[in-house]
Amino acid sequence: MNWKKLLKTAYPAAIVVAIYLLTILLLKGGLLNKYYIQVMMFAGINIMMTASLNLVNGFTGQFCIGHAGFMSLGAYGAAIITTMVFDGKNIPVLAQTPVFLLGLLVGGCVAAFVGALIGLPSLKLKGDYLAIVTLAFGEIVRAILRLIKPIGAARGMIGIPNYSTLAWILLFVTLTLYLLKNLIYSPYGRAFIAIRDNEIAADVMGIDTTKYKITAFCIAAFIAGVAGGLYAHLLAFIQPDSFSFVKSSDFLVFMYAGGSGSLTGSIVGAALLTVLPEVLRFLSEWRIAVYAVVLVVVMLYRSDGLVGGKELPFMRIRRGELYEEPLFARKGAKKSPSAQDR
Amino acid sequence: MSILEVKNLSIMFGGLCAVDNFNLSLEEGEMVAVIGPNGAGKTTVFNMLTGIYKPTSGSISFEGKEMVGKKPYQFAQAGITRTFQNIRLFSNATVADNVKMAHTMHNQQSLASCFLRTPAMRRSERELDEQVMDLLGELNLTDKADFLAKNLPYGEQRRLEVARALMTNPKVLLLDEPVAGMITTELEEMARLVVDIRKRFHLTIILIEHHMNFVMPIADRIKVLDFGKTIAEGLPQQIQRDPRVIEAYLGGEYKNVDA
Repeated sequence: MNWKKLLKTAYPAAIVVAIYLLTILLLKGGLLNKYYIQVMMFAGINIMMTASLNLVNGFTGQFCIGHAGFMSLGAYGAAIITTMVFDGKNIPVLAQTPVFLLGLLVGGCVAAFVGALIGLPSLKLKGDYLAIVTLAFGEIVRAILRLIKPIGAARGMIGIPNYSTLAWILLFVTLTLYLLKNLIYSPYGRAFIAIRDNEIAADVMGIDTTKYKITAFCIAAFIAGVAGGLYAHLLAFIQPDSFSFVKSSDFLVFMYAGGSGSLTGSIVGAALLTVLPEVLRFLSEWRIAVYAVVLVVVMLYRSDGLVGGKELPFMRIRRGELYEEPLFARKGAKKSPSAQDR
Repeated sequence: MSILEVKNLSIMFGGLCAVDNFNLSLEEGEMVAVIGPNGAGKTTVFNMLTGIYKPTSGSISFEGKEMVGKKPYQFAQAGITRTFQNIRLFSNATVADNVKMAHTMHNQQSLASCFLRTPAMRRSERELDEQVMDLLGELNLTDKADFLAKNLPYGEQRRLEVARALMTNPKVLLLDEPVAGMITTELEEMARLVVDIRKRFHLTIILIEHHMNFVMPIADRIKVLDFGKTIAEGLPQQIQRDPRVIEAYLGGEYKNVDA
C-alpha cells in the first residue's frame, strides 16, 4: 500500500471530517451557536443545488431556470414519505435513518422522473426552449402544490421530522461533489462538454446529443430532489411559495458568481453568497443593497465568476493520473509504465 | 459494389434550389474531390451527406443502407464523418479531450461505473488515452495534448479536426476545405497527411477544396459544381482542360498553369 497516494486521495475527505469536528468543538465551547450551524447547513444544501444546476447549465450548455421546481418536488416527495407514510416523529430511533434515506431517494426519483418528462420534448430541440419550458415548469409545480389539500395546499406542510443534521448534509454534499467530479472526468462528462462547446460538431462526431442532454438533466434533477428532501427535514416546514422563481434565480446567481463549468465555482459561489447576507445582517435593510453591489462588482471584475472555470486540485482529475499506480495495487502486479512521455 | 451511392440528391431552401440532382458513386478507397466557385453548393452536399440537412429528394445509400432522414450521429455511427470548413472544435476542452470526445459512441462504460470510477473504468480510460496519444503522435500534436483547443495555432486546429474525425473510426471521411487559409508549406504538409491517413486508415475520402495545386495531384476523380448543378466530372487532367470548368470556375489564365 502506498501511503503517500492514500494521503493524496483521502485529504478532501479529511478536510470535511475536520470541518465537522471543528464545528462540533466550537459549538460545545460556546463559540458557535445553533444559528451558525443552520447557516452552514443551508450553505451545504445550496452547494448541492448549485453544483447540480452547473451540470446542466455550465457543463452541458443547456439553460435551466426552474431548478427550484425540482427542489420542491424532492422536498414534498421526501416529506410525504417520512411524515405521512411513516409518521416519522413517532417511530423508533433506529428506524429513522432508513426512513429518512428512503424519503430522500423517493424525492430524488420523483424529481428525476419529472425531469425526464419535461426534458424529453424540450431537449430534442436546439436552442433556448429548455429555458422557457423550465421557467413555466417551476411555476406550474408551485401552482399545483398550492392546490393539493392533503399536503397543506398554500399553507404548507408542517410537522416534518427534523432529521437533517450537519453530519448528514456534509455527507451528502461530499457525495454529490465526489460523484459529479467522477462523472465530469468520464466519457459522459466529455460528451456533455462537447455538446456545450459545439452541438453540431458533437452530433457529427457520433454523440447522441438528445440522450446525453436528458441524462445530464435527470441527474441534476435527482440531486436537486435530494437537496430538497434535506431542506424539508431541516426546516421541518415547507410551503409551495418558498420554491418560487426567486429561489431558482438564486441558484443561477450562485452558479454564475462562482463560475459556470466549475464545481469549485459552485462551492465558492453557493457558500459565499449564502453566508454573505447573514454576515451583513447588522446593516438591516441595507444588506440587500450591499449584496447586490457585491454581485455587480464580481460580474464587472470577474465576469467568468470568482474561480473562472478553474478547479481546485482535488476537484479535478488530471490525465497523468491514469498512469499512476492505483491505490490498492495487487502484490506482484506489473508496474505501470511511467507517465514521462505522456 | 460501391460504398456510398448518392442518387438525384436535391435540396430546396424556400424557392432556391441549392443542390440539383447530385449523383455520386464512391468506390471503397477512392478519393474524390468536389470543386466549384463559392456558393456552388459544395458544403450543402456535405451537410446532406452527414445528416445536418435533410434533402428535399433523392437517396443516400451507405453500404446498402438508406441514410436519408437519419440524424448526424447516426451517420457518424454508420461510418461517415467530416471536418468543417469553419473550424468547429470543442474549444474549451484540451486537445486530448477533443479527440476523446469523438470516441463517445464506442464507450463501453456504464453510467454507474463512471460515477464510481471503478478500476475497470479507469483501465478503459487509460487504454483510450494511449490510443489518443498514438493518434496525436501521428498527427504531430503530441506535445499539445494538454493545451486548450482554442489556444492552438490555426494549422494545428485543422490537424486536430482531422484527428478528431479519425477517432470516430470512419469508413468515409469528408474533408471540407482542409487547407483554407493555409500558407504553401502548410498546404504541402496537409496534402501529405491526407494521402497518408487515406492509406493507413483505409479511408474513402471526399474532399472540397479551392486550391487546385492541392487537389490535382491527390484526387482520383473530380466533380465540378456550379449553382448547385454538376457541370463536369472526370480525371483531374480532363477537368483541367474542360472549357466549361475553365469558364465557370478556374478562370481563363488557368490554362497555362501546370498541375
